[in-house]
Amino acid sequence: MVLEAQGEVWGLSPGPGIGMVAGMDDTPPRITDAAGPQIEVAGLTKLYGTFVAVSDLSFSVRRGEVIGLVGPNGAGKTTTLRCLAGVIPPTRGAVRIGGFDMGQEPIEAKRRLAFFSDEPRLFDYLTVAQHLAFTARIYGVGNYEEIARPLLEELEIADKGDKLPGELSRGMKQKLVIACGLLHSPEVIFFDEPLTGLDPIGIRRMKDSILKRARAGAAILISSHLLHLLEEVCSHVLILKNGQKVIDGTLEEVRARYSEQSGDTNLEDVFFRATGENKGS
Amino acid sequence: MIAGALFYYQFHSLKNRLLTRVKRLRQPKYLVGAVVGALYFYYYFFRGLARGRSGGGPPGPFFAQHQDLIESVTALGLMVMMLLAWVLPHSRAALAFTEAEVSFLFSAPIGRRALINFKLLKSQAAILFSAVIMALIGRGWGGGNFVIRGLGWWVLLAVFNLHLLGSSFALTMLMDRGISNWRRRTMFVGAVAGVALAVWLWARNALPAPPAVGGTDYATQLADYGAQVLRSGPLPYLLFPFRLVVAPWFASNFSRFVAAMGPALAIIGLLYWWVARSNVAFEEASLEMSRKVSERIAAARSGNWQSMGKPKKAARAPFVLRPAGNPAVAVFWKNLISAGQFVTARFWLMLVWITVFGAMILQSQSRHAGRMGSGLAMLAVMLLGMSLISGPQMLRNDLRQDLRAADMLKMFPMAGWQVVLGEVLAPAVMLACVQWLLIVLAAIFCPDRLGSHAIPPLNRLSFALAAAAVLPCVDLIAMLIPNASVLFFPAWFQLGKEGPRGFETTGQQLILMFGQMLALVLSLLPAGVAFVVVFICSSFVFGPAGGVVAGGLAAAAILAAEAGVAIKLLGGVFDRFDLSGEIL
Repeated sequence: MVLEAQGEVWGLSPGPGIGMVAGMDDTPPRITDAAGPQIEVAGLTKLYGTFVAVSDLSFSVRRGEVIGLVGPNGAGKTTTLRCLAGVIPPTRGAVRIGGFDMGQEPIEAKRRLAFFSDEPRLFDYLTVAQHLAFTARIYGVGNYEEIARPLLEELEIADKGDKLPGELSRGMKQKLVIACGLLHSPEVIFFDEPLTGLDPIGIRRMKDSILKRARAGAAILISSHLLHLLEEVCSHVLILKNGQKVIDGTLEEVRARYSEQSGDTNLEDVFFRATGENKGS
Repeated sequence: MIAGALFYYQFHSLKNRLLTRVKRLRQPKYLVGAVVGALYFYYYFFRGLARGRSGGGPPGPFFAQHQDLIESVTALGLMVMMLLAWVLPHSRAALAFTEAEVSFLFSAPIGRRALINFKLLKSQAAILFSAVIMALIGRGWGGGNFVIRGLGWWVLLAVFNLHLLGSSFALTMLMDRGISNWRRRTMFVGAVAGVALAVWLWARNALPAPPAVGGTDYATQLADYGAQVLRSGPLPYLLFPFRLVVAPWFASNFSRFVAAMGPALAIIGLLYWWVARSNVAFEEASLEMSRKVSERIAAARSGNWQSMGKPKKAARAPFVLRPAGNPAVAVFWKNLISAGQFVTARFWLMLVWITVFGAMILQSQSRHAGRMGSGLAMLAVMLLGMSLISGPQMLRNDLRQDLRAADMLKMFPMAGWQVVLGEVLAPAVMLACVQWLLIVLAAIFCPDRLGSHAIPPLNRLSFALAAAAVLPCVDLIAMLIPNASVLFFPAWFQLGKEGPRGFETTGQQLILMFGQMLALVLSLLPAGVAFVVVFICSSFVFGPAGGVVAGGLAAAAILAAEAGVAIKLLGGVFDRFDLSGEIL
């Protein structure tokens, strides 16, 4: 079941942004067609010394698709996300974001993405308003104040402009991270455990927000252990184990593959069957 | 049973920490650091011990002549420090636990006394280590040998630690009874002042007048007078327990040490009894303290010594950051904000105005200006020299501060060189601004003559202009060197909670320091050559003053070019920078 959005939610208004890179300076012309994959991963491998964190991973995500990245602890989900976001270089393989190769054209690739980690990471000494000004300059968002104002109001932190992160609750910090991340209207969004630390209202808003961004044309990848969340928001799923892809496809495809003739297989059943883990008592 | 569990935790924590450090030595960078660090410690601390010189032997003539006075003064110092523990604190008693200890122990079925005992046991490790270090550092002090001084330090530190804990408990009890901090301070300071007044009145009536200031042999006379005050009247009684505590440290041989240890241990026992019997709720304050300590440690280990934790007040932006333009400026802007409240153009201009205006007024006071002005000029030049060495160590609002945020920096759509440029600009600009102020001061107060050489105003101005052009470029290079170290040796900059400590850290810091000095000297060489060549050539045309300016500009151009190349190269390193590999 997919949740329908109700009322104003985070990132509800795609603004002038998604897919258009509005207000940005020196943006080269898009080199992929609109229907082409926004995230392309080919043979991604990451080694830490001799330890293989991710092995020969390939997949792609198109506009409007939400792919859930699942796997047991240590499967390589976070490493994959960090490679895709350009935080760490892959040992082998290629990552293309919005048609730009992360290895060859990292700046253009990074301009098109936003990465939300499980912990809101902010600069302790910058206020909310200063974070937005800083992000706008980094991403070259000329009209950032026009975008930021409604975004902050939606996120209910418009009155916190002069507050430092230390003066904000965890939920508010997360809202600020979201505001900064959405300021440049990313075409590709990565979430690492997006619901960590959120209250029920926050969880609902986050789910709605993900769906809205996808409907507006963003390609979204979510890494989470919360399988029911992924079932609600994802169109596709990719299961990793020991750094290797076990299966990927639409939710219906993976359900069908692991249904074992029973009609109502859920993602949890798929996960345990695909990874060969015991469901336990 | 509980004590056993706590001892088990303490013992295995220590053992595992040591094992981790030993295992880390398999990596060459830690091994090299450990070897250099060990050599350093051996050279400075252990060489004398290894040669059989424990730093003991006969005490010096001054010590032998005035031992009683020194002992009394030390006891007086200890008394003052202990009295301050009853005046200064303003918050409830809190025991410093780590966040993990709070999480495991506070919710465990462990009594308050067991927690106090655990805390005391834990503090013993730090006290013993401090005692050894103090005994090694103070090899030439006192009359006993290394072991006596080490144990003497242990007694002093243990007594101080127990008293601090006991007094904090007692103050908390006073707070619980509704006695405010100011009321307690007023009463306590009043009582101490009353006693001090009584001692002073006694000394005035019973002793001859103190020696006149500035008389011949004033120091000896003052020492004799002090000895009389401390030896007779009420003070010996007041100082008696404190003298018992310092006595082991002053023991000149083993038998005297054993005799002195008996009363000292009795005092430790009494203090322990006092602390253990105190029934004070310290848990809540300890929770808060452990959180703050964790934040401070995290800040310090990330190299952010300036803030040592989260900022309490938002700093004003140094300038309006426009959304369009080179993103390196955003990083520069961010790092200036991180430096605090006062890093704004307005504040700096105000400082320049005050400096110049104040200097002009001082200069106009011709009666005193001469000597004081020369002194100020000398001081400004000395500070300029020192700023080149200490500036890059003190101002760390660059990659050293942002290493923990490397993930965020890597995600920004910026070329590596832009990140590096933005990072190093803030401390370099701050340092350059301070140096320009010093140059202004030195130029204004520079004497007209230095010995037999006249320094005309034109020469002063030319030197000032040359220095003002060269120093910012030197600063940029001086900042680039430690930032290069961060990118090449990130693990040496203490990542994470279990960052390297001990011998290897000292060794690494020494290697880094020498490396940085060498790199700075090497990078200055071409600029020095350029200065000399251009100075000689242009002096024929513009005269010596013009030559200095032309030489300075040439040197600055060379240094700027070097910095540009270094920023480009380091940008490439940043682009390939893989912090995950370092963490593992």
